[in-house]
Amino acid sequence: MKYVDEFRDPKLIERAADEIKRLANPSRQYRIMEVCGGHTHSIYRFGLQDLLPENMELIHGPGCPVCVLPMGRVDDGLKLAQDPGVILTAFGDMMRVPGQMGTPLEMKARGADIRMVYSPLDALKLAEKNPERQVIFFAIGFETTAPSTALTLMRAKKMGIENFTVFCNHVTIVPAMRAILDSPDMRLDGFIGPGHVSTVIGCRPYEFVAKEFGKPVVTSGFEPLDLLQSMVMLLRQMNEGRAEVENQYERVVPWEGNRAALAAMAQVFELRPYFEWRGLGFISQSALKLRPEYAQWDTEARFTVEGVRVTDPKAAQCGEVLKGVLKPQQCKLFGKECTPERPVGALMVSSEGACAAYYNYVHRAEAVSGD
Amino acid sequence: MPKTDLSLYSSCTLDQDGCTTCGDVAVPVRVVELIGSDALVEDRVGQRATVAIDFFPEAKAGDALLVHMGVAISRLEEPA
Repeated sequence: MKYVDEFRDPKLIERAADEIKRLANPSRQYRIMEVCGGHTHSIYRFGLQDLLPENMELIHGPGCPVCVLPMGRVDDGLKLAQDPGVILTAFGDMMRVPGQMGTPLEMKARGADIRMVYSPLDALKLAEKNPERQVIFFAIGFETTAPSTALTLMRAKKMGIENFTVFCNHVTIVPAMRAILDSPDMRLDGFIGPGHVSTVIGCRPYEFVAKEFGKPVVTSGFEPLDLLQSMVMLLRQMNEGRAEVENQYERVVPWEGNRAALAAMAQVFELRPYFEWRGLGFISQSALKLRPEYAQWDTEARFTVEGVRVTDPKAAQCGEVLKGVLKPQQCKLFGKECTPERPVGALMVSSEGACAAYYNYVHRAEAVSGD
Repeated sequence: MPKTDLSLYSSCTLDQDGCTTCGDVAVPVRVVELIGSDALVEDRVGQRATVAIDFFPEAKAGDALLVHMGVAISRLEEPA
């Protein structure tokens, strides 16, 4: 195939959906987790769940960094921004994430100097232009984003820019998958593996899922046909009694990942002993912090970061949704107190959070059709 | 031989990078010109940006790369 249209071709999609129905054993249930928020978004956007047999359920995984970031870390960032000598920079998606003190956007409206950047390199440029201010970059994301932060820090060190630091909230996907597999209330039959995270880490890190837990993993692209093909590959493995890591997204994902990006990450970051994930609790060795050689550029080493702990709003059931125990619409606040315009929980903030995706593509459509 | 349509890799463009924080969506681009350790790149609709290519120092004009947050994170292999 040469063009994306073919990955959205209704005839090919119908054929793949028929193949899924043919392969799915009607006498059993299939629970497949798509790990990545980008996949969740595509599944809702293209209505893929409607093409699947009733005994095949898609569980939305923890692959949205905004969604798994504890509220306290947002407040930690906002407290730093109260210092008039500080410019806090963050990605656009972070700007509407509520902490207890409000969202970064609301804090900005109250006078804090909080600026949206597209790249950590833009935050570094801002530091260069404002030598009298301290520029803090609120770093967040999985292994797709961490290399950009690593590269920025390497450049900051090389250029000797000392008024730039990183408030590191990078997390790694593999420990979260292990935590989900270890969780007693989760029964999963297979995983649709992340797409672009895998361009960096490759496919090999998922081998423990197949070897230790006997579950298949298929790394997948984001188009409708990509996702359906990945489900076909998972079902074939299950029917043949295989549990392997396969790569459906070969046109983008190299099996070994990106060694230069991994080397940059290894040079700049080391694993934290543990880190809190919203909804999943503390997971050991699941997040990154700056190595001591980069302490000069580490917000947590240079500033006082309080380590605010915030309990999620009681009525919001983000944790259960995040673990796939509840569907978004089963949360008591969904579509009432919690909407994309006024999110209570982070799953409603990010466009790739399960609640926002469900709200935008299913809930609104049902409201229009009167269902 | 005509170049592969960049949309084959992802429908994202430089002004539509999906959920930037999530980062599991990224933008396929083609290198227009090298500028030191950066490169001027163009997406499938002709929008241009300067991105870091430190992870692909051997990249040259015409190469297809996957860009996220202003940094090339993957080389896109041309299908045979």
